[in-house]
Amino acid sequence: MIFVTVGSMFPFDRLIRVMDDWAATAAPGRILAQIGHGSYVPRHMEHVRRLSQADFTATMAASDLIVAHAGMGTVITAGRVGRPLVLLPRIEKWGEHTTDHQIATANWLRGKPGIFIADTDADLPGAIAAAQRAGGQDATLPPHADPAFTDRLRAAILGFLDQTAGPRT
Amino acid sequence: MAIASGGGHWVQLMRLRPAWEGLDVFYVSLDPSSAVDVPGHRYYTIRDASRKQKWAFLLVAASLLRILLRERPAVVITTGSAPALVAIVLARKLFGARTIWIDSIANAERLSTSGQKAGAVADVWLTQWPELARGEGRHPEFWGAVL
Repeated sequence: MIFVTVGSMFPFDRLIRVMDDWAATAAPGRILAQIGHGSYVPRHMEHVRRLSQADFTATMAASDLIVAHAGMGTVITAGRVGRPLVLLPRIEKWGEHTTDHQIATANWLRGKPGIFIADTDADLPGAIAAAQRAGGQDATLPPHADPAFTDRLRAAILGFLDQTAGPRT
Repeated sequence: MAIASGGGHWVQLMRLRPAWEGLDVFYVSLDPSSAVDVPGHRYYTIRDASRKQKWAFLLVAASLLRILLRERPAVVITTGSAPALVAIVLARKLFGARTIWIDSIANAERLSTSGQKAGAVADVWLTQWPELARGEGRHPEFWGAVL
């Protein structure tokens, strides 16, 4: 199964429309699209509006390939389940997000194992083909951030709690 | 109090959990279904609001105030976004909580708008990009990243 997702915040009709057109001609088997409150309803893919957090993760784990906006929730969750990922960044001037930070995210992730970037709609079929050839991401992401980072945060939190508690007897 | 908006903000917060493992913590986010990620912990939901929706924003502030009055957290930690900025402002100004803002890893080239404002109220003000922790003027620190 191919899972197409726009994430939990904004609709992303452009991604859904391009994938629907692609599905009509490429006939790649089952596709499930999570379309949020988008106004374009796909005709050649199954769709859901939204998924619970648990269903979102389970659907990702059950897919062979994920095609998505360049959002960090999607990127991290796909990394956790070790599935290949194709990303189309949202563009601010087309009203797809409030800033162009997804372009920066896509540029940063470009070339990472298991991640394939489509800068434009026309790049999507090629990126999907490359992802299908490559298979899963090499290593699955560990569940937590680098311990050096979380240890330092923990020390800061404990320091604050100490100050709030006042002198101990 | 660990608070984050939905989607990527929440997923990033979850990756930092070892920082408060074993401490008395409660969570605040947007999606009721995220409660499954934090079994055994108190979990509150608030509505989403962007900085531009004034009325929705006031409602969010009111729910946050209710949560803060009830829980009185000593420390608030967040990975954003706008509703979390309201939370750290209220927690800091009204309840004297210490606050930690970790700007989302999605903001690789410049801090989020909320992240820039958070600099004025956060006791610990962090970016996940070393490039954004350098240069002229006031800037956040870099302690690491969720990835």
